[in-house]
Amino acid sequence: MNEGAPKAFDPEALAEAMAPLLGLAQPPESRVQTIVHLRIAAGHAEKLLSIPLDDHEEPAPVFTP
Amino acid sequence: MTAALLDGSAEAIAEAVRTGAASARQITQQALDRVKAHNAALGAFTDVTAERALAKADAIDALRARGRSLGPLAGAPFAVKNLFDIEGLPTRAGSKINRDRPRATADATLITRLEAAGGVLVGALNMGEYAYDFTGENAHDGPSRNPHDLERMTGGSSGGSAAAVAGGLIPIALGSDTNGSIRVPSSLCGVFGLKPTYGRLSRAGAFPFVASLDHVGPLTRSVVDLTLAYDAMLGRDEADPAQAGMPAAPALPTLGEGARGLRIARLGGYFAQLADPGAVAAVDRVARALKSERVVELAGAEAARSAAYLVTMTEGAALHLERLRTRARDFDPDVRDRLIAGAMLPGAWIVQAQKYRRRFRAEALRLFRDVDILLAPATPCRAPRLGQKTFVLGRREMLVRPNLGLFTQPISFVGLPVVAAPVWAKGDELPIGVQIIAAPWREDLALRVAAALERDGVVRAPAAKLA
Repeated sequence: MNEGAPKAFDPEALAEAMAPLLGLAQPPESRVQTIVHLRIAAGHAEKLLSIPLDDHEEPAPVFTP
Repeated sequence: MTAALLDGSAEAIAEAVRTGAASARQITQQALDRVKAHNAALGAFTDVTAERALAKADAIDALRARGRSLGPLAGAPFAVKNLFDIEGLPTRAGSKINRDRPRATADATLITRLEAAGGVLVGALNMGEYAYDFTGENAHDGPSRNPHDLERMTGGSSGGSAAAVAGGLIPIALGSDTNGSIRVPSSLCGVFGLKPTYGRLSRAGAFPFVASLDHVGPLTRSVVDLTLAYDAMLGRDEADPAQAGMPAAPALPTLGEGARGLRIARLGGYFAQLADPGAVAAVDRVARALKSERVVELAGAEAARSAAYLVTMTEGAALHLERLRTRARDFDPDVRDRLIAGAMLPGAWIVQAQKYRRRFRAEALRLFRDVDILLAPATPCRAPRLGQKTFVLGRREMLVRPNLGLFTQPISFVGLPVVAAPVWAKGDELPIGVQIIAAPWREDLALRVAAALERDGVVRAPAAKLA
């Protein structure tokens, strides 16, 4: 269940890899703060991903065609 | 005469205009004069629509002169967070970037509805950039300032809305609330704020932030005004695809029924752990007045807050990605770097968050089987100082900007309707708000309880005395 949970989450590596892929040219001070926010997000993800959810549980949004 | 009316409610203004005790033009001019006199200190307004306002006021006075009936908000000045479209203005949404957008060609739906009820739009209000903010500080327009202490935050992101109402410039403002952006400034500035059920009021013509979580609603100094504004804005609008097909249910007819017979409990657990003594005392006071001793748990609230946090980061980032690529230097850095981080988050986290949203909704609905109203702090503390970056909650130092809304965020995550009601204890120099939370589509119950508390003097929203 916890595969992909952010135990081994590496915000520096993620920011390093993703910024160019997203087409974002970041000055150093922006990179530092982005990493701070990635770390905070990982803390939230850890809480969320520790909750077991069944394969059949549906996401909240309902699309009505 | 008109100055005294502006200190009171929109309800009283409309009554005075209907009976001829004051004209809409006199009241509108008085409001414009107050904005001129106090806005430099408050940082509440970013645009003033004086010409339009006076023309609207004259039209109301002309209707009365012809013996026509006037709406429930006749002549009441109002203003809107600057993410609402106002015909002829660029919708800045607190940003520098949006000022380059074409001017809006029509008003947002809710402006049209308030004007149809007789309200007079007098301008647009300061806000945190792109609504990603709980402080009320804005890197481009300066901070909105708390009218009860100008060195303190209004809270955000509807900071100008709360400042304008608490400062006595206008009786009604509109705000938006994705994670707490009506309720947090209502708490810190001591005004009433209503975040309706998700999908209740039309968001058409309001610049988006997080489509899954965006709500819109009013801020006022009285519960009757909150209800009059809410009722005036009800109704189906095909232009908002997230609006639910619920029938419009005006709350005014039952507003005076009081809290008797309602099952009321306060939220424990997560909602008690990080609140400071002032926030706890405010909920105690409200619970005592309502003769409620029950404490219930909303299981999973902390995870709900985390899920809302991640959905916000990701949807916000997706909305602004092109602007982050091309105009990064024109963002408020505090907003920009959170958004950039949001663009980098794994998709699996967000799917888990949306799955959890359905799970948590079921938990909330289960609780409402034997409770009608839940009480919780609106903010963990009173207004921090402007510029304050961190505070200590539960012995942990945390960032102010993302954490002022830690008690509002789980509630809006599942779209529950909430009235934020301000409490002033004896000797308090600053107010703090309590969330009065109802089951989906039961805004009427939250408003009833707020009205009963206001009648008994437990909650109140006096205008600040400005120099």
